[in-house]
Amino acid sequence: MKLTKIRKQYVPFMKAGVQTLIAYRMNFFGFVIGGLIYCFVMYYLWKAVFQSSGGSDFMGFSMVDMTIYLFLSNITTQLTFSSVSGDIAEEIKDGSIAMRLIKPVNTDLSYLFSELGGFGMKLLVFALPMIVSLEIYRFCTTGNVMFQPMNFLLYLLSVILAYLIAFRVNLCFGFMAFYVKNLWGMNILKNSIINFLSGTLIPLAFMPEVLRKILEYMPFSSMSYTPVMIYMGKYDTYEMIFRLVMQAVWAFLIYALSKMIWLGAIKRLSVQGG
Amino acid sequence: MRRFFKIYRILVAQNLKRLMEYKADFFAGAVSFLIDQAIGIAFIFIIFSQIPQLSGFTFEQIVFIYGFSQIPKGIDHLLTDNLWCVGYFIVKKGDFDKYLTRPINPLFHVIAETFQIDAVGELVVGIGLMIYVGGSVNLYVTPLSVLLFFVVIPFAMLIYTAIKIATGALAFWLKSSGFIIQMVYGMNEFAKYPTTIYSPFVKMLITYIIPFAFTGYYPRCIF
Repeated sequence: MKLTKIRKQYVPFMKAGVQTLIAYRMNFFGFVIGGLIYCFVMYYLWKAVFQSSGGSDFMGFSMVDMTIYLFLSNITTQLTFSSVSGDIAEEIKDGSIAMRLIKPVNTDLSYLFSELGGFGMKLLVFALPMIVSLEIYRFCTTGNVMFQPMNFLLYLLSVILAYLIAFRVNLCFGFMAFYVKNLWGMNILKNSIINFLSGTLIPLAFMPEVLRKILEYMPFSSMSYTPVMIYMGKYDTYEMIFRLVMQAVWAFLIYALSKMIWLGAIKRLSVQGG
Repeated sequence: MRRFFKIYRILVAQNLKRLMEYKADFFAGAVSFLIDQAIGIAFIFIIFSQIPQLSGFTFEQIVFIYGFSQIPKGIDHLLTDNLWCVGYFIVKKGDFDKYLTRPINPLFHVIAETFQIDAVGELVVGIGLMIYVGGSVNLYVTPLSVLLFFVVIPFAMLIYTAIKIATGALAFWLKSSGFIIQMVYGMNEFAKYPTTIYSPFVKMLITYIIPFAFTGYYPRCIF
């Protein structure tokens, strides 16, 4: 009964999400290639760092590790990328959020499902081919097959949790449009803070001890660092379970936070309209 | 020409009035870009806490190139930010008609319409960093190099503007080219570091095809 309801109500949102992505596929490719260019800048920078440091090992990372880390972080960030904050801001600005509110569906679930379509597409046409090419690269440089199916499956699980966290963080952020108008500048700020705190820019392992300890317990590391480290097999079994549980806890906490902000924000919206 | 300046002055004045209306927004925007820059520096700093030199460049020298590269980028950001909107939604929503119906060069109008004061974040950081490390990087300050410095900056800025116009105009064929601007513009990341660290292919790409190398490393070589 419940499942039929969900299928009837939310699957159309999902289909619409896939269709939007296909309609603007050029944008999607531009986005992906832009991310890859950034990876290459970082790749050359790290190569120079490795050459300058003299050793083949830099704080527990080899150059091959570093390459995998850079590209996999990028793949993970692309997968967990959510444009929901911009969408909400746009809908509040032009008033079309009213149309969403009068529909007999859960507002944040309707956003979630329109994005899930895109998530699936990105996984199939971008993430999986990229991971295959990374493994081919690793095979060509080291001569060993280092692909671990178990880690890959746990990576997928961890990415889904990371996605849920990122989605909720963006949702909370989008609700700020009820209060602030310059969301564009704030968006840049959000992205660069997340890039830094989540370890996408520089692995948390390289950071000063105290900072690293703090960041590992914050929700940002759950958004990209944890899945990547799981894939690379940098965690032992105990730590892996611990990290996954922490992701789940953060996903729940941020879910609760977004609900609270939503309740506050929607009151404000009704004031503006009335 | 005088007419263009007059119109530009009026449009900028409009922008500044709007800005006074939303002071908090201006503050949020400028602080955002400032923090974005601070994180970029923190990144270089963390790398240099592990190694003394990067391919023969000291921390100060890298920061100098980084700071320099932010100045043309910031000026372009200040003056021509509306080009992003052409790529992202002006053409898609059909709003471009507005520019075509007015008796003025549409490209000029698009550019003049926005005066993006957020860019002071980049400019302040860029100039601040150059002054901060300027003393410790052995600059060859001669009248000629100072002159070249001021000649180079507007041209470096035009590299950014030209790339934004070319990729933004693709929207007339593709409806929306925002992410293509993003993709090509994103290559300015290469300008932040010395070109010597890149492979020959990348070096050729950023020198001859999408010449971002001229907005950071090459101009630095005149000193």
